[in-house]
Amino acid sequence: MNILHGHIDSLTSSGSLTLVHVNVRQTRLSAIVIDRPDTAPYLKLGNSVTVLFKETEVVVGRGTEHFVSLQNKLPGSVESIAKGELLSRLVLATAVGKVVSVITTNALRQLALEPGSAITAMIKTNEMMLSE
Amino acid sequence: MIELAFHKTLHSADGTMPLRVDLRIKQGSFACLYGKSGAGKTSFARIVAGLLAAEAGRIRVNGATWYDSEAGIELRPQQRSVGFVFQDYALFPNMTVEENLSFALRRGQDAGIVRDLIELIELGGLRDRRPAMLSGGQRQRVALARALVQTPALLLLDEPLAALDAAMRARLQQYILRVHREYRLSTILISHDVSDILKMADTLLHLEHGGIVWQGPPAKYFGRSSLSGKFQFSGELIAIEAQDVVFILSILIGGNVVKVVADESEVKALRIGDRLLVASKAFNPIIRKIDVNPDDERIPRS
Repeated sequence: MNILHGHIDSLTSSGSLTLVHVNVRQTRLSAIVIDRPDTAPYLKLGNSVTVLFKETEVVVGRGTEHFVSLQNKLPGSVESIAKGELLSRLVLATAVGKVVSVITTNALRQLALEPGSAITAMIKTNEMMLSE
Repeated sequence: MIELAFHKTLHSADGTMPLRVDLRIKQGSFACLYGKSGAGKTSFARIVAGLLAAEAGRIRVNGATWYDSEAGIELRPQQRSVGFVFQDYALFPNMTVEENLSFALRRGQDAGIVRDLIELIELGGLRDRRPAMLSGGQRQRVALARALVQTPALLLLDEPLAALDAAMRARLQQYILRVHREYRLSTILISHDVSDILKMADTLLHLEHGGIVWQGPPAKYFGRSSLSGKFQFSGELIAIEAQDVVFILSILIGGNVVKVVADESEVKALRIGDRLLVASKAFNPIIRKIDVNPDDERIPRS
């Protein structure tokens, strides 16, 4: 699990959903939760929260320009690679700190990634979990 | 009902700290007193047992008053219906297991209870041994049996599992739960081990700086309510398998074994038998209607 700590920057509710922006080291991450500020007291502007997301949900793109729907885009570089037969584990150095991504070894090959490669780590808004 | 309301100023190397509690625990419940070391847990237990005097307050257990500073009542430890097990419980070294238990009988008490406890806690094969011939876990079982000889209303356990290895710990947990149910005890366990608490307790009392800051169901306290994920279950870890660069955990949840992929950073802290919270976002699961005719049931594997 990737674990980041930040502060709530903005809250937008509609029905029982709330879109939450969390500021982690000056980078704005977005998460969507089935909670509202009136039902979940931790949803408060300025509150410190932990953002959690699974390694297997971290998309890796080469370079920095990606015209995709993913809202959490973290530019950085590949720090290390553990290559398995089917899956590989990448440690990525980004503006929010180290992020681990598990992708297929085929994808690793196609992107020709190696330590030092410039990448963008991307995570969908609905894959971001929050904890107090 | 167990009513505990008392205060006392505790002195430690870091200065003084007021221990101030006012709580009620239902008869028959298994409560765990949880908190960092230095929070006042052991002093709490010693005051309840009568081994340490409170400055003021009231202790009533199932209608019997053990302590009431206003009424001038203060029962001695042996007058309180309490069994006490410490982390390192001192058994009499010159007595056998059975003699240690029999020695705890009240004058005129039927010795049948000793036989019952030997059976319930499975000490039959050890009855003639002296404490020096026993393992740590076996000694704790004898200590547990001895604390129950006088069939107390309240059982106080001060970190009785702390010095034991995982397998021994799991067994002693079973014995404690067994006697708790068999003798319809009210039990207060002092522990800071989350797996002990989730496995055994129905009530958690979080003690911090001498005060109870939270009381309620343990599962609620440990994470369930603090994670935004709506797809949450707790289960027991039964297998860890390394696969490629990830790990596959088998977790027993309500009679079903589910598999969850985990990263090495998570697996490091895990052991077989651990209680785990499994959480996912409500956005992830796919659903599929199950046909009522079992022959038509088709659920894709994985």
